[in-house]
Amino acid sequence: MITIENLTKFYGSNRAVNNISFTINDNEILGFLGPNGAGKSTTMNMIAGYLPMSSGSVTICGTDITKDPVKAKQNIGYLPEIPPVYPDMRVKEYLSFCAGLKRIPSDKRKKEIDRVSDLLKITDVRDKLIKNLSKGYKQRVGFAQALLGNPKFLILDEPTVGLDPNQVMEVRSIIKDLKRDHSVIFSSHILSEVQAVCDRVVIINKGDIKAMDTIENLEKSYTGNIVQHIKIKGAKGPAASIIEMTEGVKEITAIDAEGNDFYAFTIAVDGDPDAVRNSIMSELLKNNIQIVEIFTEKPDLEAVFSQLINAKKKDSDLADLLDELGPAPDEDEDNDNDKEADE
Amino acid sequence: MFSIYKKELQSFFFTPFAYILTALFMFLFTLQFNSAIGDMNTDTFKFTFPEIFYNMTFYFIFLIPIMTMRSYADERKFGTEVLLMTSPVSVLKIVLGKYLANVTVFLFMLACSLIFPIITAANGQVVMSQLVCAYIGFFFWGCMFIALGMLISSFTENSIIAAIIGELVMFIFIFIDRFSQTAFISQHPTLQNVLNSFAARPRFGYFSQGFIRISDLVFFISAIIVCLAWNYISIEKRRWNRG
Repeated sequence: MITIENLTKFYGSNRAVNNISFTINDNEILGFLGPNGAGKSTTMNMIAGYLPMSSGSVTICGTDITKDPVKAKQNIGYLPEIPPVYPDMRVKEYLSFCAGLKRIPSDKRKKEIDRVSDLLKITDVRDKLIKNLSKGYKQRVGFAQALLGNPKFLILDEPTVGLDPNQVMEVRSIIKDLKRDHSVIFSSHILSEVQAVCDRVVIINKGDIKAMDTIENLEKSYTGNIVQHIKIKGAKGPAASIIEMTEGVKEITAIDAEGNDFYAFTIAVDGDPDAVRNSIMSELLKNNIQIVEIFTEKPDLEAVFSQLINAKKKDSDLADLLDELGPAPDEDEDNDNDKEADE
Repeated sequence: MFSIYKKELQSFFFTPFAYILTALFMFLFTLQFNSAIGDMNTDTFKFTFPEIFYNMTFYFIFLIPIMTMRSYADERKFGTEVLLMTSPVSVLKIVLGKYLANVTVFLFMLACSLIFPIITAANGQVVMSQLVCAYIGFFFWGCMFIALGMLISSFTENSIIAAIIGELVMFIFIFIDRFSQTAFISQHPTLQNVLNSFAARPRFGYFSQGFIRISDLVFFISAIIVCLAWNYISIEKRRWNRG
């Protein structure tokens, strides 16, 4: 388990990471999501022990990374944003160098290198100079390096950036497979990726944790109404009244006429979407209304994300502003000072 | 540490780098050797190897900064510093591994230069005691400058800048004793003493005469330790200051 407590990083007077705490459990894929410049890489660099923190602590399997870095780092495989490869080395030389760095006993090195090469499908480029490899292969060589020695925790900083769609799929499936014996912290600014791979998500913006939960919970708690789409044939009026009468339906937000007597209803649901859908369907069928299509619009993480990153921020700013405007005029000056101090 | 040492050696010997550098060293040595032979008939100069080594120390200015400029600068440029720093290896071992690799290249250069005494011995006479001492002195001086060059490389991420600054600093260190003997500095004996204590040239002079003095060895070894310790501090400091 990795425990991160009150981690803060200042670059000069600029606060890149602000007092964040979370844990990474065993056999879990944790997504680290945030826009560019949110502090993802800085945090990962601190967890991996490359950057010292301004305050706070990172504990890896019970070992503080600043107190016993060598021991703590043995449990970590790190793939930084730019794959840390030497352009003038051949792939196999590079991997054998990394195996030595990670203190893999020399009799097991070859086997270990073969294992990671197979896993990342770089066996056919083993004799090539790294500078002659494409970006995707360089990324995989960097990834292979992180896997050497089977570390318990893998820290992957945007591992799919710059890969073609096929490679992205491959890398994702590798990460999913890794879950069996590793924990993975995996940063990205691509939502669909996090959604596809991770068990839990930490959303970070401007150095602050905005949310931390499983994907389903996030979607539930941050998206508003669930939307149900139903398309029927004919009988627009009766259908509308049936739907409106059903318990749990908030309102019909739109009825679109489509082609030959087809009507698509968009319904805002208030309550358990499955129950509502079932009761609508059974009522409609009882009344001999033909259902052509029915589906529930899945709330998506994208909405959650933008809500957390943009809207919520503005709301809180507005609230702060209102709070400050609230008190009597003679107190205004103090508040201004406070604000400056906060900044 | 051994894996870093091996990797550094690979970066020297699996690329033309070490060979070109050694070729340059041999070329410069040949120039000195030739001109020493040319001066043999005049009475003012005697053909001795210490004399040649003495002149060769000047070329440290060109050779050693080029050898050490990539040590840390390139690691930063390629982003591989992250790999080293996040591996279970202490910074001290990184510094030592790199240093030993550079020293090995330097030894390779010295080994190639053995051909000159061998040719001389075949056709004339070589004073062995002087030769051995000159080699020892030359080796320690080189090792000191390698540590210095690596230190300068740890300050920057541009290897060219590391080389240029290295050349400048080594130039100053080579001529510091001459500088201390100028009329202006002679007026301030304390300053002159301080400058003189940094001078490697007079100490090498003893080696070239066939003396191995403990004080000279201590001078070179302590200079190496100071530079390597500073190396370590500089890398750690850079991590803390980063950003």
